[in-house]
Amino acid sequence: MDSDKGILGLLGPVLRNLILFLYALFALFPLIWMVILSFKPDEQMFTTTFIFTPTLDNFRAVLGEASFVRSLWNNLVISGLAVALSLIVGVPAAYALGRYQFKGREDIAFTFLSFRFAPEILVIIPLYLIYQKLGLIDSVFGLIWVYQLISLPLLIWILRGFFEDISPDIEGAAQLDGYSWWQVFFKVLLPMVKPGIVAAALLCFIFCWNAFTFALQLGGASTQTSTVSMTRFLASDTVHYGWVAAAALLAALPEVILALLIQKHLVRGLSFGAVKG
Amino acid sequence: MASVELQGLTKFYNKRRGVENLSIDIHDKEFMAVFGPAGAGKTTTLNLVAGIVTPNSGTVKLGGRDIGGLEPADRNVAMVFESYALYPQFNVYDNMAFPLRSPKFKMSEDKIKERVTHHAKVMRIDHLLQRPIQALSNGQRQRTALGRALVRNPDVFLLDEPLSHLDAKLRHSMRAELKEMRTQLGTTTIYVTHDYLEAMSLGDRVAVLNEGHLMQLASPDDVYFRPASVDVAKFFGDPEVNIFDATLKTSGGSQISVQMLGENIPLALPPDVVQILNEKHTSKIQVGVRPPDIRIAQEGDKGAFHATIYSFEPLGTKSILTLKAVDGSFLRALVDGHLTFEIDRRTQFRIDPHLLIIFDAQSQKFLARSTEPIENL
Repeated sequence: MDSDKGILGLLGPVLRNLILFLYALFALFPLIWMVILSFKPDEQMFTTTFIFTPTLDNFRAVLGEASFVRSLWNNLVISGLAVALSLIVGVPAAYALGRYQFKGREDIAFTFLSFRFAPEILVIIPLYLIYQKLGLIDSVFGLIWVYQLISLPLLIWILRGFFEDISPDIEGAAQLDGYSWWQVFFKVLLPMVKPGIVAAALLCFIFCWNAFTFALQLGGASTQTSTVSMTRFLASDTVHYGWVAAAALLAALPEVILALLIQKHLVRGLSFGAVKG
Repeated sequence: MASVELQGLTKFYNKRRGVENLSIDIHDKEFMAVFGPAGAGKTTTLNLVAGIVTPNSGTVKLGGRDIGGLEPADRNVAMVFESYALYPQFNVYDNMAFPLRSPKFKMSEDKIKERVTHHAKVMRIDHLLQRPIQALSNGQRQRTALGRALVRNPDVFLLDEPLSHLDAKLRHSMRAELKEMRTQLGTTTIYVTHDYLEAMSLGDRVAVLNEGHLMQLASPDDVYFRPASVDVAKFFGDPEVNIFDATLKTSGGSQISVQMLGENIPLALPPDVVQILNEKHTSKIQVGVRPPDIRIAQEGDKGAFHATIYSFEPLGTKSILTLKAVDGSFLRALVDGHLTFEIDRRTQFRIDPHLLIIFDAQSQKFLARSTEPIENL
């Protein structure tokens, strides 16, 4: 009896870990394959074995293209500024939605969220026409503006929960301690929601960085982002899978670095606030 | 130093009443206890004085000056919140130093250090100054919140149930400490509480609020012994005061006696009470008797009421006895802990007419209570 239980007891964790391992393999394999592809020479591209002669030719080719490097820079500027604009607009909006009781509060909050409902491809034609009239096609500001559809709702909805969690007493206390409302906001409230701001801003940055449809249709030669630029390696006659893999790897790098840098805040940010006590 | 005058303050949150037509005069250096059950409007009152909430109507005066239009920062009042409202991103020292670093009360870091350490010593949290708030117990948080209010010299202290989240033992010791502090500080203080013991032991006067209205504003003794209404009498004292109907009987000239509890035992009222009752021409009254004022009598005592023992709760030095009187009404008595009683046994008890609190049966308002010295029972 006892030994039976022992074996069963041991089997449980082993089985669990085995399943987890298989799932991890399943989930990570495409990424691993992409890394492998980026180091493969063209002639070995379609072999399915793991044996190949590693080469940096793909990276050399991709980084040799001035337009791709430029597109990385473009993406960084546009996504970064888009997130900055979202923060400037979204933090006060999240505060207002989280703190004040006013008529139509939930409706406004829902409207913000609904910006994310429509598939981008659905709104792209009217947007294109509007942008054409306004002369915003292929402009940095135009892309930053349209990226608000992606980042602003996310930011507002994450931060709203954080502001709701702060007791109004704290604001009252800080005001009585001799601070004006603005000083209270910057000295007391913002530091308290910092983990939330960091997490929300990072998520927004990732979504903006990976945006494709808007960048493809509303951007142009001078504002080409890395996601759009990469498609040039998929020509109709020759497809350089090695180049595509290398470019994708390079394009993912900033996100990974950012995420690692602010990991501490990220975990706290995503686990606080979002779950209400 | 400043007096606080609240005049006709009314505040509604949408349809919900905070306070209505509230007027309280608080003298300079007075310790005013604001007492009331949950939802009475106590915190609203404090927030109105602090300026966190703006009234629908009425004025708040500080030292005779109308401060209605001033921002909270400009009122020079300090408040301790029920939730403590400490800043979680700072440690204890920075929390206490926060008001002194504000543009309003700015001073040099040296001076800040001196003051914070001084007051931390007073609050006995000087060994915790570098701790983050999250690492503090409730009692320590409470002291930090008090310390943060103490470091500046405000005109008025507002304390919102500062002891309510502490466990019973700590609450008792902090109550004693607050009492000590209060004499040292000599600053006008408004102290909100729902604990009648806190209100009575700390307050110079007690303002009793209920449902946004002021029920009584008087000394702790008066609130307890001469409560303005049946409700106020019920708020103070544990076990609760016994209230029952009684009839007045005029017997021979100026004598008035009460009959109650379904028995024909006339209790002759003291002359001073009789005089008041004669002036008011009241015939229907309600009578309040505090549980400690009910005395168990010897078997066969002529002038005593009869009852059966309904329940018996020993509490150590005292016991709570629930008695069922002849007319079926229940009375609670607080008796000596050494006595034991058997349930369903018959017993007798006495009530001294000097100790009766007499209310008007219709308005439920206070009528009279004897002020004559009480003879031996």
